[in-house]
This record gives sequence, structure tokens and C-alpha cells, in this order.
Amino acid sequence: MKILIIEDEKELVKSMVQFLRQESYVCEIAYTEREASEKILLFEYDCILLDISLPDGNGLRILEKLKANNKAEGVIIITAKDSIEDKIHGLNLGADDYLSKPFHLPELAARISAVIRRKHFAGNNKLMFKEIEIDLLGKTVSVLGKAVDLTRKEYDLLIFLLANKNRVVSKNSIAEHLSGDDAELFDKFDFIYSHMKNLKKKLAEMGSEDYIKSIYGLGYKFTS
Amino acid sequence: MRLLQLSLRSLLIYSLIVVLISIPLSLYFIHAILKEEVDESLQLHTEQFLNHIKGFEYLDDLDTDLIVFDKLSYNMSIRQVQEGYPDKAYQTIEVYDSIEQEIHPFRQLSTPVDIKNKHYLLTVQISLFDTEDLLFAIGSVQVISIILLVTGLGFINRSLSKRLWKPFYKTLDQLKAFQVDRNEPFEIVETKITEFDDLNHTVKQLTDRNRSVYMQQKEFIENASHELQTPIAIFQSKLDNLMQSSSLQASDASTLSELEQTAQRMARLNKNLLLLSKIDNDQFRNTETIDVAKVLHGIVENVKHVADAENISISLRSEPITIEANKTLIEILLTNLLHNAVRHNQPGGSLMIELRNSKLVISNSGAPLKMDPEKIFERFSKEGATENNTGLGLAIVKKICTVSGYQIDYHYSSELHVFTLLLH
Repeated sequence: MKILIIEDEKELVKSMVQFLRQESYVCEIAYTEREASEKILLFEYDCILLDISLPDGNGLRILEKLKANNKAEGVIIITAKDSIEDKIHGLNLGADDYLSKPFHLPELAARISAVIRRKHFAGNNKLMFKEIEIDLLGKTVSVLGKAVDLTRKEYDLLIFLLANKNRVVSKNSIAEHLSGDDAELFDKFDFIYSHMKNLKKKLAEMGSEDYIKSIYGLGYKFTS
Repeated sequence: MRLLQLSLRSLLIYSLIVVLISIPLSLYFIHAILKEEVDESLQLHTEQFLNHIKGFEYLDDLDTDLIVFDKLSYNMSIRQVQEGYPDKAYQTIEVYDSIEQEIHPFRQLSTPVDIKNKHYLLTVQISLFDTEDLLFAIGSVQVISIILLVTGLGFINRSLSKRLWKPFYKTLDQLKAFQVDRNEPFEIVETKITEFDDLNHTVKQLTDRNRSVYMQQKEFIENASHELQTPIAIFQSKLDNLMQSSSLQASDASTLSELEQTAQRMARLNKNLLLLSKIDNDQFRNTETIDVAKVLHGIVENVKHVADAENISISLRSEPITIEANKTLIEILLTNLLHNAVRHNQPGGSLMIELRNSKLVISNSGAPLKMDPEKIFERFSKEGATENNTGLGLAIVKKICTVSGYQIDYHYSSELHVFTLLLH
């Protein structure tokens, strides 16, 4: 999978590349709008991460160019501005998702995998991991063909962990992913613990192996 | 008291005093002049009569004629008196006037005269009735003048204060309505009156300067928050990567966890600061029709599992109500209020939410405030140092209420923190 990162903050780019490379993503980088414009015309990408405030112009112009050239790349806008106008404008111009800085890298990975799934496996809404099968359209999970009755939060949690296979995801990033702004309230992360416990229990009951490991109280890791 | 009323009052008082003094004075002088005229006239009459009588001194029975004359004449009498009668004397007397059948004042002059060596007292009278009429007329004219003066001045004052001071009151109204955080600049209206134009220009300069300072300040906060987003993002992403290290020790992990919490806190703090300045900058102006009850239910659903974990019971009673507002702002407003009610609750406590007639009452159990309740909506006024509390939640609530024209109040009663929100 090939990803183009259009972002002028070199340190942030470095972190993103480091994180995404672990998931066998190939990352290319454009620090300016000019570089990005060249790259999008020359190559095909599975996903483009686009910072809309670039030193030499507005990143929204890249979206216009993609549209004008009938490019069907999935685009995730990344911005420090978090303005609703930009968000609506960007989504109207064909962006697939919108992420405001600062963000957790596992969150970014989850968004990327969702965009890629939508773009590439349009007909196939099934996500398979060994004995676990997930129907993304119906939002149902089955283990060895037997349906697992998960709550909405447990389902979201499983998808999030799967998008970050073999990576440690912190409790903070899980809380933010599951609850957005409500994560502010969770001082002790008790609720993540209970969701995690229930998810593991339900999967195990249906005969799934225990893939979810707790890491030093720091977070969790879905290991394959 | 208005300025013009004040100046008018002084003017009126002065003119009243002048008029009030002038009435008795002029009456007195006119009276004196008239009296002198009458007295002169009496003197003349007397002299004329005496001259006239002298021409008849040849008559033998003048005595009898004079008696007859005395009987016949109306304004004059001549009677024989003893010698040694006092000198001539002027007198004002009341006499029954047989013509007008009323008692009228008369002025009379009594003069002792000798006719053919006999002593007589000649009395000539003139009615003062006409002079009294004159005085009365003059007095009336003066009183009418005063009334005309006062009402006229009052009327002119009113129309003047309406017309002349109109630009001034306009400026005053503009100043009253002026808010430094609003985007409308102070508008100047040319008045053709130097003082007002001066005032308006000075006020404009002042407000423009205030606005520009305020804007710079606002811009600075927004820019600072924006600029901080990227370093925090870098920091956070480095931590996310560091967590992946396979050589991580347990102690490193706990430090890392603490660092991540701190990064999170910075991110939230910054996000809330940015939100505050965005609300200030009026970046949430798109409005739509919102079902408040529906939004409220959604948010309650979100906080429910946190409340459940603390055994906090939630009761929600709501009536459907729709308002015209910005959805993001309403969501933030309700979320912050509910977060606050959960955060400052106690294990096993309660949270009551009631929405009725555009009035939302959120009450939660909890220990009374240690800080001044007046300061509850101020930025960074925190009750205890809870790690995940930015101290901006209620400041944002207040700000949203201010820009949207809602009213928010807090009070503590029967061991409940009660927030009352009026959505108008």
C-alpha cells in the first residue's frame, strides 16, 4: 500500500513514516504544494494525507487538482486549524476524512485503513483475521462462523485494534477513539478496561485465540 | 437631569424673578404717576372753578347760588364752614357711585376758600375707577406674558433638545451598544456642529484603537494556539512511536504513560483555548434548527457509561424544544455542562437533568464549592487539581451563552450544584 504524506512539518512526517512503515505501508513525502502536485500526477497512491496549510499555498488546491485529473485516491485532510468551514469545504472537494492536529498515530492508522478499505475493497465488505471475520457493512463479527454479539463500543474497539495490528495503542488513544471529547472525563480508564475485558471474553467464548495483550499498563496490543 | 433642562431651568428662574419684581414695581410706578396726574387735575379743576366763581362775585345772592350749586353738582361740593379750617388736603375715599351703583374709590381735593369774605370748603372729586381698571389690565398682560414665556421656552427647549441634541444622543446610543468584541466599527455621522463632530471623531479614534488592540490580542491567542497544535502533534506522535519499542522496561512504560497523559492534557488545554478564541472570533455563525432534547439525549448517552462506572444515577426529563442555533456550539455547551456535572459528582451520587420550556436545569450531588461561586465561570478557576480538568469547560459554557444570548446561572442548594440555562 502506497501512501503520500503532504506535510511541511518534517518531524511530524518522520514520526508518521516510522509508525506507518511497521504496517507495510510505503510512504512518500511531499513537503510543499509544488512537490505534491507533481507527485499526484505521476504516481498512483492508495491514500494521501494532506496538510492543508502548506508553506507555498493552500492544500485544498491539491484536492481540486485530483478532482480535475479524475484521480480516485483516498484523501485524509490533516490540519492544525480545525475549522468547520475548511472541513466542509475539504469534504465537498472529495476528501474522505478529516483529522485535526494533534492526533494519535494509531488513530491515523485506523483512518487510513478505513479509507483504503473503502477505496479498494468496495465490493468486499469483509475483514478477515485468522478465525475472526468482520462484516463491515452490517457491523457484525463472527468467530469460526459463529456470530459474536458485540456492543457498538466493543465492535469499534476491535476494528481499532485490528487497524493497529502488532502495535501498542495507548489507553488514551483508545479512549479518544471510542469517545471523542468525552474521553476528557475518563480519569481512570476503568471503562476501557471493562470494554476490553468484555471483548476478550466474548471472542474467547466463541473459540478465538487471545490476541489482545496488555502492555505494562501503558496500553494494548493486538498481536498476530 | 438633561443638560438643556438644566440651562433652561436657570433661564426660567431668572426671567421669573425679573418678571415678578417688575410687576409690582411697574404697577407701583404707574400708580404713582396716575395719582399725580389725578391730583394735578383736581388742582386744575379747583383753580378753574375759583376763577369762574370770581366772575360771579357781583351777584348779591351768590351764597344761595352756591348752596344750589352744591346740591346740583356731581363731582364737586362747596359748603360754608367756620374760619380756621385746615389747609387744602388730598384724600382717597370710597364713595357710592350712583351712576354705576357701586362703591368706587374717589380722589378728592378739599380746599378752604374765601368768597365774599365767607369761608367755604371746596371739594372736587375724580373717580379712580378707570385708573384701577388700567392697573388691572397692565397686571394681566404681565401675567399672560409670563405664562407665554414659560410655555414657549419649554416648547422651544423640547424641540431643540430633540433636534439639536439628536446627534449627541445617537453617539451616546452607539457608545452604549459598542462592544469591543463585536465586529461593527463605530460609525461617524457628520452633524455640522463642531463640538459633536469633535466628540464623534475622538470617540471613533478611541473605539478604533480599542478594537485594534483587542483584535491583536485575540489574533495572538488564536495564532499561539494554532502554532502550538503542531509541536504537540509531534510530541504525541513521538510518544506513540516510542511505545512501539521492544526494549521498553516497565519503569519506562510508566513514565511514558505519564508523558502521554501530560501530552493529552496539553492538547486538550490548547484545544479549549482555541475553541474559546474561535467563539470569540464568531467562527460558529451558521445556524440551523436544532432539537435540543435530541442533542441532550445523545450527550447523556455518551456520558452514561462513565456515570455508571461511578454509580451515579442519571435522571433525564425533557420536553421537545427546537431552537435556531449553531449545532456545534449547542453540543459543546451541553457536553461541557454534563461533563462538569459528572466530574464534580461523587461515587453513588445523582445527576438530574430537566429540560422544560426552553429552560434546562442540571443538578448534581457533590460537596459544596471551596472557591467563590462567583468565579465558577472564570477561566482556569479550578476546584481541586484533577488532572484531566482544563479549567476551561465552564468558561466555554459562559462564552457560548454570552455570544448566543442565553442566560446561565449557578447556585448550590440542598447539597446539589444547580446550573440553570435559559435558552431564548
